[in-house]
Amino acid sequence: MTRYLLGRIALALMVALAVSALAFLVLRLSGDVAIAIAGEGARDEDLQLIRNTYGLDRPLLVQYATWLWQTLRGDFGSSIYFKVPVSELVLQKLPTTIILGLSSLTFGLLLAVPLGVAAALWRNSWIDRLAMGITVVAQALPTFFVALVLIMVLAVWARWLPVSGSGSWLHFVMPTIALGYYVMPPFMRLIRSNMIEVLSADYVRTARAKGLPASRVIFRHALRNAIVPVVGLAAVQLGFLLGGSVVIESVFALDGLGYLAFRSISYKDFPVLQTIVLLLSVLYVALTTLSDIANVWLDPRLRNA
Amino acid sequence: MAAVVPSSSTPPVAAEPAVPPTLSRRRQLWRRACANRPFMFGLGLLALIVLLALAVPLFYPHDPYAQDLTQRTVPPVWYARGTWEHVLGTDALGRDYLARLLHGGRVSLLISLSVVLISGSIGTTLGVLAGYFSGKVDLGITFLITSFLAMPSILIALVIVSMVGSSLTVVILVLGLLMWIRFAVVTRTATQQIRALDYVAAAQAVGASRWRIVFGEVLPNVMPQVIVVATLEAASAIMVEAALSFLGLGVQPPTPSWGLMIAEARSYMFFSFWLIAIPGISLGLLALAINLVGDGLRDLFAAGSRN
Amino acid sequence: MAAVLSPSSCASTPALEVRHLSVDIGTGHGTVHAVRDVSFSVDPGQTLCIVGESGCGKSMTSLAVMDLLPGSARRRAETLRVGGQDLATASRRTINALRGERMAMIFQEPMTALNPALTIGDQMTEVHRHHRRSSAAEARERAVHLLGRVGIASAAERLGQYPHQLSGGLRQRVMIAMALMCDPDVLIADEPTTALDVTIQAQILRLLLDLQRELGIAIVLVTHDLGVVARVAHKVAVMYAGRIVEEGSAAQVFGQPRHPYTRGLLRCIPVPGRTAPGGHLGIIRGTVPALTGELHGCSFRERCEFAQPLCETAPPHRSDAAGHAWHCHLEKDAAMGAER
Repeated sequence: MTRYLLGRIALALMVALAVSALAFLVLRLSGDVAIAIAGEGARDEDLQLIRNTYGLDRPLLVQYATWLWQTLRGDFGSSIYFKVPVSELVLQKLPTTIILGLSSLTFGLLLAVPLGVAAALWRNSWIDRLAMGITVVAQALPTFFVALVLIMVLAVWARWLPVSGSGSWLHFVMPTIALGYYVMPPFMRLIRSNMIEVLSADYVRTARAKGLPASRVIFRHALRNAIVPVVGLAAVQLGFLLGGSVVIESVFALDGLGYLAFRSISYKDFPVLQTIVLLLSVLYVALTTLSDIANVWLDPRLRNA
Repeated sequence: MAAVVPSSSTPPVAAEPAVPPTLSRRRQLWRRACANRPFMFGLGLLALIVLLALAVPLFYPHDPYAQDLTQRTVPPVWYARGTWEHVLGTDALGRDYLARLLHGGRVSLLISLSVVLISGSIGTTLGVLAGYFSGKVDLGITFLITSFLAMPSILIALVIVSMVGSSLTVVILVLGLLMWIRFAVVTRTATQQIRALDYVAAAQAVGASRWRIVFGEVLPNVMPQVIVVATLEAASAIMVEAALSFLGLGVQPPTPSWGLMIAEARSYMFFSFWLIAIPGISLGLLALAINLVGDGLRDLFAAGSRN
Repeated sequence: MAAVLSPSSCASTPALEVRHLSVDIGTGHGTVHAVRDVSFSVDPGQTLCIVGESGCGKSMTSLAVMDLLPGSARRRAETLRVGGQDLATASRRTINALRGERMAMIFQEPMTALNPALTIGDQMTEVHRHHRRSSAAEARERAVHLLGRVGIASAAERLGQYPHQLSGGLRQRVMIAMALMCDPDVLIADEPTTALDVTIQAQILRLLLDLQRELGIAIVLVTHDLGVVARVAHKVAVMYAGRIVEEGSAAQVFGQPRHPYTRGLLRCIPVPGRTAPGGHLGIIRGTVPALTGELHGCSFRERCEFAQPLCETAPPHRSDAAGHAWHCHLEKDAAMGAER
């Protein structure tokens, strides 16, 4: 078990490194960074000054190595626009994004589990078709559109919620719904197909033969087995949520990493962007590793393998 | 249905139940496709959208770029203020909305097709290579896949587009280079399975060259799954492009893109909700149609391979 | 309920009584009549073996009694009495109350029949806690006792283990113990030894017999293995194509098989000392008929060497005074003779 863990962690670190390198490459190669910082029509001396300050005239590999070395020592550089250490900035905004991610995931699961279980229990009935219909429609609607609709209905028309910002928990409600419904379909399908398979398993028949009440058979025996892959998927989806919150955070002006990233793109604030990309990929890698571990832990058969 | 066979002096033989004549595989597939109602609905809807987007701009008079500041934000015809001249009304710059919608549809279709072609080629190639050659090649490609998966791709796409400058071509290239992963994963698994099958061993025994096997045996059998992934990625590409354009980092004005139309209409949303509702619902319908087709194809091929 | 039954009550209240049970399964090709008009009864302390080849409907019969049929199957019965209570038209609630409590079932594949994600202890105690409303400690105690009774050493330790940590034979013992948690009157066993090694088979069968002697349960054992039947059966019911074609005590059915199918079955078994080495084993030519749609007459006639035009009509029920019964047109003595 420990060997497996160490192996996974080593792989995770390598991947994080690779991603950071890729991102670094992308950022540096997409265009002349100096011009991007200074703006079009800057004078040559200014450009030269910028290049010196940020070490942009050194070979790419050296730049990357410098950045890596600094990062490993905890120095993430300074934000060009905000003029504060990147680490400070990022740590400030990170909790918002994490909260958004977790609550959307929870919301999505709260929708997916009953839909998936109901669809499996009454397979091929109108319930199944309705659940699948809801799922298919949810998959097709763009999140930003739904976000705008939610704003129209809940904030403007009904005045129940604030339109944008991130002051209170109320500000998280609409973003959670807008992200959560979109995350629901993959879970619902997984739960549905797993439950269908599990419900026809022998041990479910044994449970029924014991005269146990239907709820116990469904939840304690069937769902308990069907849900195992969902945990793995949840970790992966959380990773995607964290990375994909850019759009929703921007729509709702929710002050998290995504919104910061979006603004940094317009400000060409590379240190910030570099760090955010690194952070998100590390988080994703950590989550997928966790999900693999969770899979092993949840299935007793794999535990001693 | 057991036939009544009178016993006679001949040795008793078990009666075979009557078997319906077997249809050719293609007919069976078609039969099953027609029975799958969501699939047929999706197919029909998709055909309709494609038809409208392709054919109508040819004979629909209004120019999506023509501004008319005297006719700003005219509502669609079913509102009190609407007119038949602009069936779906006009936007903030007086441009006919139906024309913009249809042309935006062309943009969406073009993007999804191109992106899928690019990412599909890259992904399938890498996947087949990884699955067939195993060893170091597989290790390398798998590592590449894992790394790409770990990247926050929307963010990277935004960064690239903002640096290089956004346009239709850039969007297509960027998405094509970022969205190949699922193709690679699926084809890799499929190739591994096919490689382990007997008829590949038979081909190798006969002395067929590696490339012959890849093109002759592996690719044709991997294709159905590639097509299924292609439809799902096409829908995904449309959504991502819409999001990019919505954020201002995709297709640039005045080119109509549904995401862009929603962004442009955002400030008028409170009074003219239809300005965002129409492109939004269109996006939903197109994605729905493609997803239904993709799901239907997946069911079809899965059931077919089981026979 | 290992009650001390007086001889008279033994005979008059069978533990399980089934009259005219039929099971139909709706499929895309029509209705399959998997079980057709089956009747039997089992007294406390008695073992009935339902024997037949694959597809004859014996498993369906056992599932139908427990009301565990797959969704597309429908059962009909005139009588389905367990310990005096009729379940033929009972509500789901009533049936559920009896399942696991008055009647229990064990299955063929102990690995898949046990939930891989729950411990042995959890799976065993939940039956008792649900039906008897016992506490965790009480249920645990009973589980340990039963595990010991079925011959599992270090029972307390086993409770915390998972199914995959046990061998096949042990798992089947656990299944038996689990079935006995609430001391049922009827135990239905669907091919309980088929998936086990021969040596383990013998142990499990002996265990069942011992338990029966001690607890007085009625056992319905479904199998295709005549060797198993010979070892444990008091009564035998031979099934073919959904019908019971012959029934009687083990001695009667084995000693004087009346139905051509039974005879064919017995001929298939090599008998040491009697079957010449290198000689032919008996076979029954042909295959089982499809059970879809309307079926007329005797379903065995296409494979029967004694078939006559008369066999196209439903064969009559024949029996003798000793309780041996069969369905065949043949007169009792006409079929005897050169066969055995």
